[in-house]
Amino acid sequence: MLKQNITAVLLSSLILALSNFALAQSTAVTNAKIYTGSTPAVLENATVVFENGKITAINPEKVVADTVIDGTDKIVTPGFIGSINALGLVEVGAVAATRDASSDKAGITFDPSYAFNAESTLLPLARTGGITGNIIVPHGMTDDFTGIASYVSTSSNLTATEINPVAVVAYIEPQSKGSRALKIQYIEEKLTQQQEKLNAPKDAKKDQDKEETPKSDEKILTKLLNKELPLLVITHRPADILQALTLKDKFSLDLIIAGANGAPAVAKQLADADVPVIISPMDNLPKSFDELHAKLGNAATLSSHELTVGLTVAGDSSHNLHQLRFSAGNAVANGLSYEAAIAAVTSNVAKAFALTAKGVIETGKDADLVVWSGDPLEFSSNIEHLWIGGKEQSLETRQDKLRDRYLTESELPPAYTQ
Amino acid sequence: MRLSSVIVGLSVCVTLLGCGSGSNPSELTFNKNPYPSTYRPLPQETFLIQNATVLTGTGERLETSDVLVVDGKISKVGKNLSADNAETIDGTGKWLTPGIIDVHSHLGAYPAPSVESHQDGNEITNPNTAEVWVEHSVWPQDPGFHTARAGGITTLQILPGSANLFGGRGVVLKNVPTTTVQAMKFPGAPYTLKMACGENPKRVYGNRNQTPGSRMGNMAGFRAAWARAVEYRANWEDFESGKISERPQRDLELETLRGVLDGEIMIHNHCYKAEEMAMMIDLGKEFGYHAGTFHHAVEAYKVADLLAENGNCAAMWPDWWGFKMEAYDMVLENIAIVDKPENSCSIVHSDSEDTIQRLNQEAAKVMFRANDNGFALKEEDVIQWITSNAAKSLGIDDKTGSIQTGKNADLVLWNQNPFSVYALADQVFIDGALVFDRFDRRYQPTSDFTLGQPGH
Repeated sequence: MLKQNITAVLLSSLILALSNFALAQSTAVTNAKIYTGSTPAVLENATVVFENGKITAINPEKVVADTVIDGTDKIVTPGFIGSINALGLVEVGAVAATRDASSDKAGITFDPSYAFNAESTLLPLARTGGITGNIIVPHGMTDDFTGIASYVSTSSNLTATEINPVAVVAYIEPQSKGSRALKIQYIEEKLTQQQEKLNAPKDAKKDQDKEETPKSDEKILTKLLNKELPLLVITHRPADILQALTLKDKFSLDLIIAGANGAPAVAKQLADADVPVIISPMDNLPKSFDELHAKLGNAATLSSHELTVGLTVAGDSSHNLHQLRFSAGNAVANGLSYEAAIAAVTSNVAKAFALTAKGVIETGKDADLVVWSGDPLEFSSNIEHLWIGGKEQSLETRQDKLRDRYLTESELPPAYTQ
Repeated sequence: MRLSSVIVGLSVCVTLLGCGSGSNPSELTFNKNPYPSTYRPLPQETFLIQNATVLTGTGERLETSDVLVVDGKISKVGKNLSADNAETIDGTGKWLTPGIIDVHSHLGAYPAPSVESHQDGNEITNPNTAEVWVEHSVWPQDPGFHTARAGGITTLQILPGSANLFGGRGVVLKNVPTTTVQAMKFPGAPYTLKMACGENPKRVYGNRNQTPGSRMGNMAGFRAAWARAVEYRANWEDFESGKISERPQRDLELETLRGVLDGEIMIHNHCYKAEEMAMMIDLGKEFGYHAGTFHHAVEAYKVADLLAENGNCAAMWPDWWGFKMEAYDMVLENIAIVDKPENSCSIVHSDSEDTIQRLNQEAAKVMFRANDNGFALKEEDVIQWITSNAAKSLGIDDKTGSIQTGKNADLVLWNQNPFSVYALADQVFIDGALVFDRFDRRYQPTSDFTLGQPGH
């Protein structure tokens, strides 16, 4: 027993040493078609080199790397970035004990990223769709704000997850009871109060000798007012988008609109205010009175107004996040340019959430990269390599194991096939 | 077979004798088709589609081929066809497939907008509501019918929801814009009965502290109902054969179950799990009916041989999963694995107002992932999952679901290979009538609901 343990310890240190060694290695993908997510959008017969988690060279004069992958006839893209879902915060939708994205006690301080589970079986499936990062959002019934949205990487390594808060979330949606007006009013009120607090002259304070420690909700409101975090408003109706723009104006907020299938009706206002929008390009039905503008051409329409458009997956985009590339393909089928579609699942999402090291293939950026066998937006293609922070990720899923178990011919029942 | 003779008999009964109220109650019992189809094709033309890649829906792919449509039927399929008075449509570079069929939709019953007043898809008041007919809930103005048509859907089955063990009768519709449900009803299509295994019935009624509250409660509920149906049928047969003179009391719930026992009504069973499908097959054998088509069969790949041996179709999503435990064991190749055995009947379904618009894409996902993993599926194979196999599951494969001489001219002309993410339906035909044209606003019908609304 003891001996076994020692062996295990030795083995694991060896593996650790090896993996550290591997990380220090440089990798090059050569002769590939690279969609940069930046300008120029496409590099033909190009090479990207990365080391220590960062992209170190694009098209160097001489390729020097420990590992060279021939990218002939392959396509390289930045890792795709999902958004507006609960990836890693839910395992089985109907099993309450596996759900951590919502709470009765949600509010501006609710941060579900504390519950993020890198071991979730949803993550490997998301990676097979080229997803290297994702924006998780809280939900729940609240009077005003709902909580903190975070960027998370899709690595299954428990100790390698990157988690960064990227926005404060508020939903402006149809109410089954009461009015959405009150919610907008409460949001406005909270921001007003905090602004007044920040603007109050020091000597006007009642208790001069005792500096009041800000409460945790006040700290977050301050971050909004100081533009340290943007406000992510999840809403569809054009009138509500305009309300969000008014809040942005009044408090000089950074604003992102998600949902937004009414955005084409206020595209000019959004463009003038330089507000990014995250939409599902497959929305085309009036599922509520808020969604009368839902159209398959919305991504193309918004893009033509030079808005920063990010794409997400409609419905359960936690379990179905691997479909993001097909959503982008459908946006192309309905008028969005191909380069804009790639940007809409990479650099535009990164830009919207101020992820400055993500979403583009440029020297110095994070080596979150995908090598595709063909057109990443087509059903026919699949992934050959995927790196997060320069570390190659497994692309095997629990679904693959189940498939192989039931396709294996054996005299014994499937349970014997591991 | 039996069904069509019943329907012919009924139409005679309706038109000539006025059904039941007449002189001979022991012979003419009651009208089994009181809400008959009033469907009429839209204006039909004689036309010839030329030089298209044709997927017939029978496993064949015809390169650079022509299809002639006369009087709403497929008249000829071949190369270099010509016909007098036929309008020609250039299919060069395009693909022609049978009209797409979705065996699982709630359009009209759970329409958009999804407001309280529109929640008509499930009578969640009793675990057995075999007496309700979903056609009585369908709102023909659901904008989803139009978006589905633009995606090539020419025929669809509307089912009640899955809260009950017996959810009620489903209905097969032609996807034409109408103001009444009767005008959409597919002439001659059998009625169907929705059943549901698993989590939904036991959760809904268990939470009300009534049966079923467990999977064994589900089975007990099924068996009790079928046992009563067998009795009911025997009583009626005794009456109909003159053995007894007193007419049994009519029971709408048992009447539907009897229709199943008589082979007139087909079972469509919401059932995710391998062991439950096996149980439902035996349940059918116990009471003398066929277990029909399993819907949402996420675990069908675990019992693919059993399904094929028993002649059960399985209707599946390519990749939806994880929303509840019974949907946890999804594999992306499920539909291909179920398709593999001899006599299989694999179907891609939507259960969604969104993916019904792209069943071609749903099938494409499966084809490519399966081919990545040892399968060698081709477009001509896979198209059957959304056309002829679906037609078989609905009992209308003698009428639609394939491009064969004599079949209804339900067709989709795609701008390219329909298994590309970039494919769009250029024209859609139902019974030889143009019902959608991507390039012509005159053939882009819209719902009354969206008319005059912002954005429309």
